[in-house]
Amino acid sequence: MDSFMETMEQGVLGHLMALERGGMGRQKQHDSQRSETLKARAVTLRAKRDQLKHHTDVVKTLKDKIVKGLPLRDEDAAADGFVELQKSLLTAWRMQLKDLQRAHHLIGNFAPVKSHRAHCHCRSIVPSLSGGYDLVECKDGKSACVSFHTAFEGVRLETYSVELDLTRAVQISRHNVPPSFPLESLAKRTLQKDLKAFLQTLSQNLNALAARRRQVCLLKELVGSVEVMESNQLCSVLVLMCTAQSEAPKAVLCTLEYGDLAQCLPTRVSIECEDKVLSGSPQWKKNQSLLLESPAHTALLTMRRMGSIS
Amino acid sequence: MMEQKYEEEIQMLQQEIETLEAEQEETLRSIFIEHGDRLQRELTSVCDERGGAQKHALSKLITEVRELEKNLRRQTEINGIALNECLVKTLHKSERKLVQQLRLAGHCSALLFQVEFAVTEIQEDDALLRRVTELNIVVDGVEFKDFSAFVSRVEDTKDLLLFFRTLRTFSDRCEERRQTFQHFQEKYPDVVSLPEGCRSELMIIRSPQLPGISMTIFWKIDVSMAGVVKPSLELLLKMPDQAREFDTKKVMENGPEYFQSLLRLLGVEASIESLIRTASDATSLVKVFARVSQVC
Repeated sequence: MDSFMETMEQGVLGHLMALERGGMGRQKQHDSQRSETLKARAVTLRAKRDQLKHHTDVVKTLKDKIVKGLPLRDEDAAADGFVELQKSLLTAWRMQLKDLQRAHHLIGNFAPVKSHRAHCHCRSIVPSLSGGYDLVECKDGKSACVSFHTAFEGVRLETYSVELDLTRAVQISRHNVPPSFPLESLAKRTLQKDLKAFLQTLSQNLNALAARRRQVCLLKELVGSVEVMESNQLCSVLVLMCTAQSEAPKAVLCTLEYGDLAQCLPTRVSIECEDKVLSGSPQWKKNQSLLLESPAHTALLTMRRMGSIS
Repeated sequence: MMEQKYEEEIQMLQQEIETLEAEQEETLRSIFIEHGDRLQRELTSVCDERGGAQKHALSKLITEVRELEKNLRRQTEINGIALNECLVKTLHKSERKLVQQLRLAGHCSALLFQVEFAVTEIQEDDALLRRVTELNIVVDGVEFKDFSAFVSRVEDTKDLLLFFRTLRTFSDRCEERRQTFQHFQEKYPDVVSLPEGCRSELMIIRSPQLPGISMTIFWKIDVSMAGVVKPSLELLLKMPDQAREFDTKKVMENGPEYFQSLLRLLGVEASIESLIRTASDATSLVKVFARVSQVC
């Protein structure tokens, strides 16, 4: 009986131990697989590093030759080496050109890009976050699509698109500019005569519109105590009601008139209050200037910070 | 453990690669900044070369470079702003943040500028925030004498875009003035003089028969702090004292106002033409300053 039990135990134990060993074996396998993967990655990276080092040396040699005024083409240089040299040069040139392109974008110049499609897609290939615009011409040259990207204080806002028909005279075929915007009258004035001026004026006006709209949003968001009494689609007028801080808080009505639709600052600001002494005070004269010289939300925040309004 | 060793090595290699790439970028940039012209010459010949195997290996790069050059030329042409110098220094680059310093030099028609600025771009969800953190502007040219208030303001507000928009508009107005002044000097060389050159704001009209009398046109191009460009013309009449006694029609007093009305009615060119005609046509002037010719 005992021997039977022993055998049984051995059997079970043995089986268990065998199972355990098997598991460890798989773990080991797993470990070694991971090792292999890491090893392979290390090898790849090593190769890349070495290639880069070699390339860096090539570039340094190139620079050396240039500085010393030596000819860059070596007659006895190996063909490979020469191709690599040219590759470095072209890469350097490309980098400089890309830098220039970026610089142009940052300063607000638009980038014309020729579309390689038969029909036109209003898609900006080089996103312009500077409040500029992109013009995509269709391959057949019959139409062009202009995307106006607006931005204010570094934040990108709406994008408006205008499709131009270039067949006989330049005309606008489609657009998604808001109806309140005087697009037709602007087009009538300059589109036919000077496309560049038209696009620049349109870009400026759309940008200013987006900026004015954004100011209204921001002031609602940041200065909750100020109430927007009146506004319109074009944001050409803004009437705000503020509460002036005094012994008895008084309501002050600020009317901002944006006479120049190409600007995001008002051309006229008037302050009205039942208390004439308050509205004529030097403090409110200063507030009036603030509203004329800085964006609405910034001015109001300053006024609140100075304790002028609540 | 082996794995740990590998992991360490991998991390070290990645850092090395990053450093090498940055180093290479800097060296390539510096080559171009210092020896751009020479390299462009060399490369133009490479691009034109009809090689066999070589061209194949580099054809993609060459096409890319050609496209970029073409786009840049068009960008310059259409925008009117040419960049002769562009230095970019990347101070920080990570997945969501990019900080760069740029130094640009160029011209807008004949107006020269040098702009240095720092820009930070932060990717935040679906918005890209770009902020100019430093801005230094130097402008050079005789036209810029009233520009400095605007430049100071724009440096304070770091409004890079406003500067270039305004520069373009200002340049257009300066060009108009220059063309008009030059046109009149060429057409009436005996009567019109530009003592400070065609790029200045002064044009003097004098009749050869009545040298003591002159009409000076001041064509000012004012730039407000907010970047609004406003040309304005003024007329200044000079008459010798003796002649003023005979100025019964009060031409000296009313002349400037008369000129403003003329501007409103006829526009700039026609108004100036009219003034010049008045000056050249001795009889009409003589009618007014009858006795002056005897005095002068």
